[in-house]
Amino acid sequence: MSSVVFNGTSFVLPLIIIAIGGIYSERSGVNNLALEGFAGFGAFSGGLVVVLLSGASANPPAWMFWLSFVGAALGGALFSLLHALLCLRFKANHILSGVALNVIALALVGLLIEQVNLDLYHTFSNFFQLPEAARLTLPNLSSVPLVGMLFANAYAYAPVITLLVLLAWYVLNHTSFGLRLRACGDNPEAVAATGVDVVRVRYQAVAISGALAGFGGLCFAYSQHGRISTTIFMGFGYLAIAGMVLGNWRILPTIGACAVFGFARSVVQHLALRYGIEYSMLDLAMAVPYALVLLLIVYGYRSSTPPKALGKHYEKNRL
Amino acid sequence: MVAQDCPNIIEFRHVSKSFSDVAVLKDINLTVRRGEIFALLGENGSGKSLLMNMVFGGCQPDSGEILICGEPVQISSSAEAFAHGIGMVSQHYSLISNATVLENVILGHEPTRRLMRLIPYLDTSKAARKVQELCNRYGLNLSLYDRIDYLSEASQQRVEILKMLYRDSELIILDEPTAMLAPQEAERLLAIVRKLQDDGRTVILISHRLEDVKQVADRCAVLRQGRLTGVFKVFATSTRRLAERMVGHALDFELERQPAVFGDVVLSVRNLCVEYSENKSTLHDISFDVRAGEVFAVIGVAGSGESALADAIAGLAPADSGSIRLMDRDITQDSVRARSLAGMAYIPDDRRNKGLFVGLPISDNLVTKSYFQPPYSKGAFLQRGEFRRYAVQFLKRYGLQLAKGIYTPTYQMSDSEQQMLIIGRETDLDARLIIFSKPTQGLDIGTTLEIRRRVVAERDQGKAVLLTTNELDGALACADTIAIIHDGAFVKVGPANEMSRQELGEYMMGVHR
Repeated sequence: MSSVVFNGTSFVLPLIIIAIGGIYSERSGVNNLALEGFAGFGAFSGGLVVVLLSGASANPPAWMFWLSFVGAALGGALFSLLHALLCLRFKANHILSGVALNVIALALVGLLIEQVNLDLYHTFSNFFQLPEAARLTLPNLSSVPLVGMLFANAYAYAPVITLLVLLAWYVLNHTSFGLRLRACGDNPEAVAATGVDVVRVRYQAVAISGALAGFGGLCFAYSQHGRISTTIFMGFGYLAIAGMVLGNWRILPTIGACAVFGFARSVVQHLALRYGIEYSMLDLAMAVPYALVLLLIVYGYRSSTPPKALGKHYEKNRL
Repeated sequence: MVAQDCPNIIEFRHVSKSFSDVAVLKDINLTVRRGEIFALLGENGSGKSLLMNMVFGGCQPDSGEILICGEPVQISSSAEAFAHGIGMVSQHYSLISNATVLENVILGHEPTRRLMRLIPYLDTSKAARKVQELCNRYGLNLSLYDRIDYLSEASQQRVEILKMLYRDSELIILDEPTAMLAPQEAERLLAIVRKLQDDGRTVILISHRLEDVKQVADRCAVLRQGRLTGVFKVFATSTRRLAERMVGHALDFELERQPAVFGDVVLSVRNLCVEYSENKSTLHDISFDVRAGEVFAVIGVAGSGESALADAIAGLAPADSGSIRLMDRDITQDSVRARSLAGMAYIPDDRRNKGLFVGLPISDNLVTKSYFQPPYSKGAFLQRGEFRRYAVQFLKRYGLQLAKGIYTPTYQMSDSEQQMLIIGRETDLDARLIIFSKPTQGLDIGTTLEIRRRVVAERDQGKAVLLTTNELDGALACADTIAIIHDGAFVKVGPANEMSRQELGEYMMGVHR
């Protein structure tokens, strides 16, 4: 039971933060299919920070753990600016730009890892080693029955994500920046008519999206792999998109949708191990959350209301 | 901010503007005085909205200058217009649909405070007081925490006005403010306009509704084809004279109407109920007959079910119960095409979306209801040559003069031209029943009169005509029988000549049930 909860939360939390990244971008009116790429490139950037600062040593010091997240957020934001530039400056089709960036991220990460290893450390290697993930146990809460499982030996990023989620919710709903961002996704002409720079708001929204996705991507790298290689591209970015759509582009329902996916996954994983499912069948079992996505989309999509101006280019001075 | 004491709040000197070599505004000289209600009259495409868009930063004049309080100004964005104390409510409201009234009003000027001098947050309470106070003073009757998409058209318009007031606009420009409103709502808007004037604000009213201008405006300017044809004192000028100035020739306001000769029942609707979720209107238990040679008008405020009824009869919205008969055939479950082939023509309300494929050429648009039949198809093959032959003949017959003939892109045609295209296409079908759904909505007076004449001409040929409309004038000018629809149900049906405007308006607003 506790392993289900542990695996569940360590999977759900990063998924939520990536999905919220998607919400920021899409609520401002910029389609974001590039979450997968943002998350992967962000994780790579986190790994790069580790490798650059601590050399190619097999075991980087533990304090690198926190620094790597700063790198991931910055790298994700930087990479997402490509998407913003393509969509906002060059008026590219948002969907195409997103898909292209996913492919580019995968190729770029593979290439850069090998080049960095070769040029700086003269080794042939296709991964960056990450430090051991910091864990923490909240002494008082962890002894509470049931709820305590959430606070025992959890990944140290878990409380940080919880804070980030609260902050993201607050900014989107209770600040003037959040109001402007939401307004840009509904009626950009109206926003412009009040003297607000729509394009600027959208750039900021996409950058936030990249930073959050990068952060989430690195969390996955820690919990799923412990190292950075091209295998970090496992489709969790797409799962986050599904969570955002089923959550109707609102933060609280999106958290719910992501939780359903994550816990479904960990329950299946638990059952599979417990009943000793053949290794070849394990992949099939792991596809359950994705099948769940399909089911939910069929039954849940009807009530979904995407932001009105999603994917539409905003033209100044259109008469 | 505009200085308080200048007599001329805004002045145009030799303003001209052209788009791709077509002159749209030619040498406009105009002065608007502080504190007056100034009307700008003109037909669709006369340039009146463009002129005002210049004031609101939408575009710049090619030559000439705009002066505010005697100072030449360059206005390149709406933010700059606000800074000059100018606000504009355009025809297409620019509101955030999923936000509240208050959020819409403060957007762009959000009062932000910092919690513990650190965490920024929206301080809505102070703004809410100011906005509520403005609401009360001008009788806007809005609830600040309602979401925009749940508000009526008229309420949304008042939110736009509220936005301008919150920004302290001295000069408020209203673009066709009463075009979409029911008579009583229009009255209410005009009352608000008067109150704005009483408070010392200046209002420019862009309109092609002469009655509004006559009611509130002090002076009015008439534009025709981009030229100023004159500035008039409204109280000293007759409505007819203004209209003729607008159109450029004498107008025949009175429709020639033969006395009605009713034939057999063509359309018979019994106990029709429709759940029509798309535009939130439903129909309850509607029954009526339309006879050959009769114009049956269904009139109601926008969204009261008048469009839904037309859609239901044309087959766009499936009936949940009840029956629709066309002559001796039950068409309740028939497809749109089957109904069309059974003798029904339909001119839908939303011409750009339901009436035309604006991305397709004119020749394709003219055969959307007959392309699958000879001579337009032979077997599975389209006869494009026939399409074009018909289109050429069509434009000649209806006197539609387009820049590139049948090769004019449909989306480049004006609203009037598009509507005449649809009306021509549908009347050519030679159907027994012809449905006009809000045929004159948003069109200028010349086209409006022409369309009304066409409606009556169809009836005089012995067709059954169903007309749905939001405009009392249109219904009174054409109809033999009027049904008033409110909240999806008929509240009154009777011969047109037995109903007064007052009575009709009250039924439309749901005063009597």
